[in-house]
Amino acid sequence: MKETNVGLGEQAISRSPEEILVAYGLGSCVGVVMVDPVSRVSGLLHAVLPRVTDGMAHSESNPSKYVEGGIEDLIAALVKQGANKNRLIVRIIGGANMLMTSGMTRSFDIGTRNIEAARTTLNRLKMPITVEEVGGHTGRTVRVYVADNRVTVRVIGEKEHEI
Amino acid sequence: MNEHVSFDQDFIEKLKIITSEGVNNAASGFSGMVGRKIQFNNPVARLVPVLSIPEIVGRPDDDAVGIYLRFDGDLAGQILMIVPHNKALELADLLMDLPQGTTQHLGSLERSALGELGNLCGSFFLNSMAGKVNADFRPSPPAVMVDIVGAILEIVVVTTGGIGEHALLMQANFMDGSRCVEADFWVIPDMNSLEDLIKKYSVV
Repeated sequence: MKETNVGLGEQAISRSPEEILVAYGLGSCVGVVMVDPVSRVSGLLHAVLPRVTDGMAHSESNPSKYVEGGIEDLIAALVKQGANKNRLIVRIIGGANMLMTSGMTRSFDIGTRNIEAARTTLNRLKMPITVEEVGGHTGRTVRVYVADNRVTVRVIGEKEHEI
Repeated sequence: MNEHVSFDQDFIEKLKIITSEGVNNAASGFSGMVGRKIQFNNPVARLVPVLSIPEIVGRPDDDAVGIYLRFDGDLAGQILMIVPHNKALELADLLMDLPQGTTQHLGSLERSALGELGNLCGSFFLNSMAGKVNADFRPSPPAVMVDIVGAILEIVVVTTGGIGEHALLMQANFMDGSRCVEADFWVIPDMNSLEDLIKKYSVV
């Protein structure tokens, strides 16, 4: 099996049964997984910030850095690879508050806002969320097993579990 | 990077001197706290793409402890100390003067001790830098995260990621001869306040 690292601000699409898409240590970032079980196309987005207006970099050409644009881009890429938008099973993971110390709330804001941005965007696109594993105070590593559409999450001190 | 900030080679060289002296001072504080000689290597100051930060340490899925501080004042930024989880257990033993192998779990007492270590190293670095650039810094209380490396480093990315595509990373690695101690030490000034520093001060 081949693990493909989906880094911050990246997305990956695969229909190779040998491939596992993985985003290591999602903290306040949000991972969005979409799988079409019929055409067996899987996609994983690793978004950092809610939307482009949250940063100064309006001219950036990397939609995957942002939840809102990244989701739209992920769907387009999946459809291009043969997925049917209406069949896509959607999971969102991450959006944790990593810093619990008072006075360091910016990260909390971003994790929560990332979750809200994912929900809002998917709702606008009329795509129901099948599974959410979001919030809390711990990072998560997410793996997408393209061969059988399984999605797993690992947090520190635990074995990976299927969601 | 923030298009309003520009770095010439002369400024980078000055930052390298500040980094080296700051890390040296932090290592002195570290040594005093654990009661053994702590060495450091590879002190560097460099611009790095923000989104590649989780790849710098490597092993993004490993368990680790991150000790995180922010600082404000004439220059604002972040300080992060990253210790592999097994090394953090040994470090807790050292800090609390316990036989090696005693600490098996990082509870509130152990986390507090590690936080104080990060606080001390960060303060020693900032004191050195403050003297160099005639500036005043105020560090925040430390936050201790026991988590996956990638998630710990994301804090830095999220805090800087909305500002620009690059960050200034001042970094070094602490260790001792027996390799009981092993830690990455990072100082990441906010790019916007760095611009102020360039304007206000004749650095070094």
